[in-house]
Amino acid sequence: MFTAPLVVAYPYKRTVGTLLSRFFQSLQEGRLEGTKGSDGRVYFPPAEFDPVTGRQLDEWVTLAETGTVVTWAWQSAPQPDQPLERPFAWALITLDGADVPLLHAVDAGDMARIRTGSRVKVRWADERSGGIRDIACFDLLEGAS
Amino acid sequence: MADLCAVVGVGQTKHASCRADVSIAGLVREAVDRALADANIGIDDVDAIVIGKAPDPLEGVAMPELWLADALAAHGKPVFRVHTAGSVGGSTAIVAAQHVMAGIHGTVLTVGFEKQSDGNAMWALSVPIPFGMPVHAGAGGYFSPIVRGYIKRSGAPSHIGAMVAVKDRTNACKNPYAHLHEPDWTLEKALESPMMWDPIRFVETCPSSDGAMALVIMSEERADKHAGPKAWVHATAMRSEPTAFAGREQVSPRAGEMCAEDLWRKGGITNPAKEIDVAEIYVPFAWFEPMWLENLGFAPRNEGWRWVEDGVTDIGGSLPINPSGGVMSTNPIGASGMLRFGEAAMQVMGKAGEHQIDGARKAVGHAYGGGSQFFAMWLVSSSKP
Repeated sequence: MFTAPLVVAYPYKRTVGTLLSRFFQSLQEGRLEGTKGSDGRVYFPPAEFDPVTGRQLDEWVTLAETGTVVTWAWQSAPQPDQPLERPFAWALITLDGADVPLLHAVDAGDMARIRTGSRVKVRWADERSGGIRDIACFDLLEGAS
Repeated sequence: MADLCAVVGVGQTKHASCRADVSIAGLVREAVDRALADANIGIDDVDAIVIGKAPDPLEGVAMPELWLADALAAHGKPVFRVHTAGSVGGSTAIVAAQHVMAGIHGTVLTVGFEKQSDGNAMWALSVPIPFGMPVHAGAGGYFSPIVRGYIKRSGAPSHIGAMVAVKDRTNACKNPYAHLHEPDWTLEKALESPMMWDPIRFVETCPSSDGAMALVIMSEERADKHAGPKAWVHATAMRSEPTAFAGREQVSPRAGEMCAEDLWRKGGITNPAKEIDVAEIYVPFAWFEPMWLENLGFAPRNEGWRWVEDGVTDIGGSLPINPSGGVMSTNPIGASGMLRFGEAAMQVMGKAGEHQIDGARKAVGHAYGGGSQFFAMWLVSSSKP
């Protein structure tokens, strides 16, 4: 049977609007800001529209750089362009003050050191450009869990 | 028999080449909020949502209807996504109307959008599919030979496209939401515009826009109790045909003629040019105005260009075409068809502001897409059939 290669490569950009622009700006400036929903839940990353009522959200909450691992999976052989070059954990992390977890990387060093409930802290990237990778990864808080 | 339904709310964004102040979600929401406000209802009053946009490669978001559920406040409600290329804004409004006409939902919100600034439609539509004929020239490259075919067949003089362009750009200055506000065009200046895809000059092409249009459609029972002007849907019609087959009539596609015949028959229209007060038709390249005048059965074959030349389609003419400025002045592709349908509704609701046609009672919205292969039309009126 015949086949033919088809490579679709094409540049896009994403306009994020006023609300998410503030989020990315705050990351670049080294702050963690989420939005508060109608039921009081705090979203990080921020939700643009309330998942309950659909209302546009505009109440901001500044969050701590610490949080708790909700669940995790071990990346034993990191791939190119992943957050870390040595084995690490993908984790859902609820920041202190937030109610909904975000997905990020934890530089735990060894799989035996991380568990659900581990306490973690943001490690900021040396150079920040206004994106989720301005958070380089999370570090385990020694002895805190 | 289908139930009756009516448009009770119309809302559109300010259209621009780049709406950097809003995300795709925010753009959609701007139109939705305006349509709900125009209908004087809340999102909780909506039973179902029908969303449409042009091909996903235009913004590079696959299945945006899933991602947009929060922005549409769609949780707990049915959401349907429609796609029929450039005609999608029209077919989306028709699908929304049909949910009401079928007696399934009482109030349906429908929205069409495109954020062209996030990508590049011309190249997104020119992916070289293996074993297929490459287009590589965007829509203008595809349609210019068809326009040339029309000119040859009809004997139209070469300035007709420029006349349509000047009319539509001038009309757009009366529409605060239009993308292009260029009041200084004259025929003389337009004829000096660079030739882009011979015989299509630069001024005879549509812009690339960010924008959205939303409509609220209600059942007869609810609309009767609803205060405010309404656009009663007298008829809807859709037809399609393949892009390429031997012997296909591309200048006046058979699917378009059949769609119009169906619309006139369902709407009880025997003399469209006389009975229709205003039409918003899909003209992304200026020459398509005379071509569609003929395809729709308004003008006799090969006579459409004479109507343009005689000013029949001007705002003061006997059949105003695109008083909003049309696709020639605003083209967020996935919204463009719904803008035609919504502008037609606005005319019979008396809500068209500065570009209102006095006494408009019956109006047509028209959209086409693909290689002139998908057609969607509706006929709306200020009164019930």
